[in-house]
Amino acid sequence: MTVQFKPAETFRDTFTYKKSPEDILRFPFPFPEDEYMYSVNIEPHVKGGATPAFQAVFDIDEHYVGECRERERVLKEDPKRCQVLPHMMAAQWDTLELIMESLAADYPAHFTLSKAGDVWTWVNRPLGLHQTFTFGKPETLPCTPFEYITRQVQGDFTLQDQREDNLFVDGGMVTTQADWSLEFNIGMSFHEWHGPVPGVAHDRGVFDRALKYLLRLQYGQPVRRLNWTMTINPRLDTSPENYPVWGPDRTTVTADNVAEKVHLRVELQTLFRLPRSNAILFGIRCYLTSVSDIARVPKWRRRLHRVLRDLHPDLAEYKGMTRYRPLVVAHLAALDDGAPTSRGIAPDTDRLDG
Amino acid sequence: MSDQGIKSRPAYGKITGDPAARHALLVVEGAGLPDELMAEGVDPSAFETWTVAHASTVPGAPVMDEAAGAVRPFRSARQLFSALEERLARETMGLRLCAAGTEPFLWDVFNIGAVAGLTRQEMQFAQMGPQARRIFCVHCRTVSEGITASIVTCAGCGASLFVRDHFSKRLAAFMAVQIDAEVPGEVPPSEEIYR
Repeated sequence: MTVQFKPAETFRDTFTYKKSPEDILRFPFPFPEDEYMYSVNIEPHVKGGATPAFQAVFDIDEHYVGECRERERVLKEDPKRCQVLPHMMAAQWDTLELIMESLAADYPAHFTLSKAGDVWTWVNRPLGLHQTFTFGKPETLPCTPFEYITRQVQGDFTLQDQREDNLFVDGGMVTTQADWSLEFNIGMSFHEWHGPVPGVAHDRGVFDRALKYLLRLQYGQPVRRLNWTMTINPRLDTSPENYPVWGPDRTTVTADNVAEKVHLRVELQTLFRLPRSNAILFGIRCYLTSVSDIARVPKWRRRLHRVLRDLHPDLAEYKGMTRYRPLVVAHLAALDDGAPTSRGIAPDTDRLDG
Repeated sequence: MSDQGIKSRPAYGKITGDPAARHALLVVEGAGLPDELMAEGVDPSAFETWTVAHASTVPGAPVMDEAAGAVRPFRSARQLFSALEERLARETMGLRLCAAGTEPFLWDVFNIGAVAGLTRQEMQFAQMGPQARRIFCVHCRTVSEGITASIVTCAGCGASLFVRDHFSKRLAAFMAVQIDAEVPGEVPPSEEIYR
């Protein structure tokens, strides 16, 4: 793998985040059809599939170092973006083990894990880390095991405890979220933390079925789904905590800047049963791609136009797109020639337009 | 009352008791017994009942021993919570904890019970009294009590806050979010809706 990391790129203020052509083509475009509605669109998290983002257990791309630095910055400003309730220590070690073993197996050039009994040595070359510690002994790490390892992966993570036939979000590392608060939600049951999702999803029984499915999630058989929203500027930290900081961005979209300002925000959500704790690790890996970059793939620009044009108004409101959606739709309408699109999310090309 | 369609908002019923209980403790945010909140056929004398008299002259009473049918008044809700922490720390299996009161009171009781190891199934909640809300400002973490309006000024950071129906049992509070974050100053009229 010859990925070139870009350690200096920023996700706030100067917004120097940019995607290479290869990175645009590996974007996990979230719409398999020309229309979108909530569904339990869960599939096995196995390697292969329609996008290179599915080729690793935890996907690392050219933004890895920049995103880890942004996470470090958010945690310095608000340490409570990482919290785990005290009864979840076994799940913390489960998480550390799963992520270290997966990264070392998928990216041997970047990460190495060696074990001598319970004494493990972890090498993270992109971040310049070399740590020897004793598995099961938190005092041998610079911070708790969950925080230690999730500082070194792109995307947010939450830990779900399973009890009372329900799942409870009893921990998380949440610095790149689409407008939900760990500090407010920690400890909630499955239906409670999904409470704000529009009634159309609840009415369709989406959460009842998803919970039933997840309660039966098996160790060694992780699953995934794609979720999406839109974000103005390539900003990772769109937390409710900082809504007064990023909210005004939504009023800055004009017909002239819409393609550069508005980003499709995709979450590659993965779910893993953990072996010792029986908890579930939920990964929420965020990918940002501007409308302008999406428009360089003919299938994607046609489809994004049709999805946004026909989106259920409740969903548009929930996703906070009300102010600027007409501008995005107008921009993309001019680029949609009406040609039919193929099923699935693949770009159907290996070269970008423009 | 408005309904924002948010499903995390708790629903409440009546106190039904639990035939499997070894002992039942009912805590009430008020001086009287909540007869109207007892399910049909439930005998209030089956409970040990703690009440809040809101009076400094209430004399001390033993709180550590089980006494079915006894009614024990406290000077304030805080005094009751303090005793409840001590009592639950010594309790054994088979206790059922019931509470009747305003929403913040009920979830304060819930959190004391949870710390003591009671599960949600071992507790029952019946809402009574004013509908005023406790809110949590998601921007500055200030907790404000007795909120009756749809939009209020945060005592901590000054933001004009919209009170969402999204409820955290752990914080025993509703989430409050700045209403004019996107266009500062664009604040719709506030309505008195939580009475």
